Amino acid sequence: MIRLENVTKRYGETLAVDSLTLDIPAGEVCVLIGPSGCGKTTTLRMMNRLIEPTSGHIFVDEADVETLRPEQLRRGLGYAIQSVGLFPHLTVGENIVTVPKLLKWDKERMAARVEELLTLVGLAPSEYEGKYPRQLSGGEAQRVGVARALAADPPVLLMDEPFGAVDPLTRQRLQAEFVRIQRDLRKTVVFVTHDVDEAIRLADRIALMRGGRLQQYATPEEILDHPANKFVHDFMGADRALKRLGRVKVSDVMRTDVPTVDSSTRAADLRSRASCAEERFLYLVDGSGRLAGWFDCADLADGGGPESAMTSVDWRESAVASDASLKEALSRMLEFGFRSIAVVDGEGRLLGDVALPTIEAALGAGDTHVAAADGQGGARP
Amino acid sequence: MGSAQSRRIDRVAAAGALIALAGCVWLPFAVSRANRIVAGVPAGIGSAGAPGYALALLAVLALVAALYPDRGRRPAFALASAAALAAILPWALGRSAVTLLAGAPAFARVSVGGGAWLTAAGAAVVWFAASQAASRRTLGYAAAGLVAASWALAFAFGGLDRLSLVMEYAVQRDLFWSAVGTHLSLVGISLGIALLIGVPLGVAASRVGLVRDVVLGVVGVIQTVPSLALLGLLVVPLSLLGLPGIGPLPGVIALTLYSLLPIVRDTYIGLAGVDPAIVDAGRGMGMSRLQLLLRVEAPLALPLMIEGTRAAAVTIIGIAAVVAFVGVGTLGVLVFLGWGQQADDLILLGALPMVVMAVVADGSLRWLGRAVVSPGLRGDLR
Repeated sequence: MIRLENVTKRYGETLAVDSLTLDIPAGEVCVLIGPSGCGKTTTLRMMNRLIEPTSGHIFVDEADVETLRPEQLRRGLGYAIQSVGLFPHLTVGENIVTVPKLLKWDKERMAARVEELLTLVGLAPSEYEGKYPRQLSGGEAQRVGVARALAADPPVLLMDEPFGAVDPLTRQRLQAEFVRIQRDLRKTVVFVTHDVDEAIRLADRIALMRGGRLQQYATPEEILDHPANKFVHDFMGADRALKRLGRVKVSDVMRTDVPTVDSSTRAADLRSRASCAEERFLYLVDGSGRLAGWFDCADLADGGGPESAMTSVDWRESAVASDASLKEALSRMLEFGFRSIAVVDGEGRLLGDVALPTIEAALGAGDTHVAAADGQGGARP
Repeated sequence: MGSAQSRRIDRVAAAGALIALAGCVWLPFAVSRANRIVAGVPAGIGSAGAPGYALALLAVLALVAALYPDRGRRPAFALASAAALAAILPWALGRSAVTLLAGAPAFARVSVGGGAWLTAAGAAVVWFAASQAASRRTLGYAAAGLVAASWALAFAFGGLDRLSLVMEYAVQRDLFWSAVGTHLSLVGISLGIALLIGVPLGVAASRVGLVRDVVLGVVGVIQTVPSLALLGLLVVPLSLLGLPGIGPLPGVIALTLYSLLPIVRDTYIGLAGVDPAIVDAGRGMGMSRLQLLLRVEAPLALPLMIEGTRAAAVTIIGIAAVVAFVGVGTLGVLVFLGWGQQADDLILLGALPMVVMAVVADGSLRWLGRAVVSPGLRGDLR
């Protein structure tokens, strides 16, 4: 979709980008990463001709960008930047339709698009459409910035540290939403960041740059497992094993056929379920399938009453979301001292669980889609 | 409005009330002359009779309002006393004129004395302080309407037409209105030309560093040349072009040149102050330079551009008086005639309309600034 051939950018004596060749397939997220001054932002800005290369060629969809009018080119490449750059005199809705307006869409189509996009980025259209940028929080402004970049449904998105200016918690939420949105839209995304964790979480491919030169261009797994040189090795950090876990989503490896009982289960049934179960624990769900706690089967088998064998929990605290990474799951387990942890959806409904051996298997395997290993069901406080 | 701050005395209103009171009791309220140029004989507030004493009483009331602890009604009370002062003032002046002219020869004149000016100034201060504190604007508008009506009635029935200022007007009526017309059209034409030249210059200055240095330097130098000197200096280039060095042409040129600095400078500052990230976002989304200027940069610079226009308008309304020296019949003509004849009231006849014009221009352009600027740029957005 985007191809760079021997692209060089020279500022006087300094080489900002040195003979860079890069091929970004359609529908993939390519993260440009490297220390500051490595040429990643210059590379991005050459793609939409905000900067003209000194030599070399850039092709977008097989067309040499030099042959296109810059304005024409840019309207087809969504653009989102760290400082967002929302127009302060326009409302959120007017900001979002900046490019559609340039493309002369009709009013109904633009109004429908604003509503669609605000919903997509998780902002209530009725509440946010008429607000002005100064009334937004940092995270809200970044969401609007992304919505604005998506407005004319461009096949390509250029994003320069789009989540850079917000607090870490908001950044993680925005990253999760980016993953969700990208799963549906399958845009070709070029994403500049200096945050290794962000790159590993979002990238299909990582292009690691240093001093204007490409050091390695590969999948996150490949870069973590087989760094091309010492710089790549050092830049990715010493905790490469943990970083790998950031690539694996809980929903990809969780066990889904977990033993559950609900609150209507009688004590006798409970005891018989417990005695024949291979599991140590039985998950307890409420009427709507939400995680409410668990029973210790050993305790029940020894004749303990349901009350003494039961642990009540709040799903918001003692479980992980299905779109969390294994890194987050492991972190939660270590925090509580669990050997396995329940997986819930956004409403708290029990979807499955993840056990320590599963995580060990994921660490060992080269493939992200590791078969769920046999784990000890339930959890032990 | 229940804060401890507002419960204490209102210092501004108190000062205004004291000024008004001093005007009533200290300085001569009116000045009578045997004819319009001889030295005058001062007359106290007593010459104004009952309306005069009412003024003094109202000034005391305004003072009480300013000093009395506020229980929420103070702004309305202070505003009412200021309005009453302003409304009764023309009746007091009229009565004073009638009293002092009784039995005097036809040449005799009665001018407004320092005391009356001071009373008017004090009332204005109290009015300002009260309208700042008032929660609703309607009260101020109603009071202003009442005062205007009272002045109109005083002209018709209160003897205000016997004042020297009004008699000067009656004599100079034709000259006065032609001067007002000339003044306004000179200012309007010059401001229009300055906007046509100055805004593009400001845009160019914000794009090219060299243009910025040259243009801001030149308009800055122009501003430092005294107005009379500029009119003199213009004679040379105009005569080289075979154009007259006196008359409307040099006048318009001078006023246009003086308008340029605030307009060019504020246009430049407004555009240069636009956040580079906003420009980058606009360019990156495919706006052409013109689209970026018209849709993004200009709306963001608009508040400052209007402010520059306002500053220019207020400045050249004053300078237009000096243009009378090169033979243009602005309000300056009345001022210079009055100086020549040592007729103070003729000077005032020229000066007062200029003050009114400046205040109206200032107020209306401030209003425009609020009305056309996007709510997203205003500080009061929550």
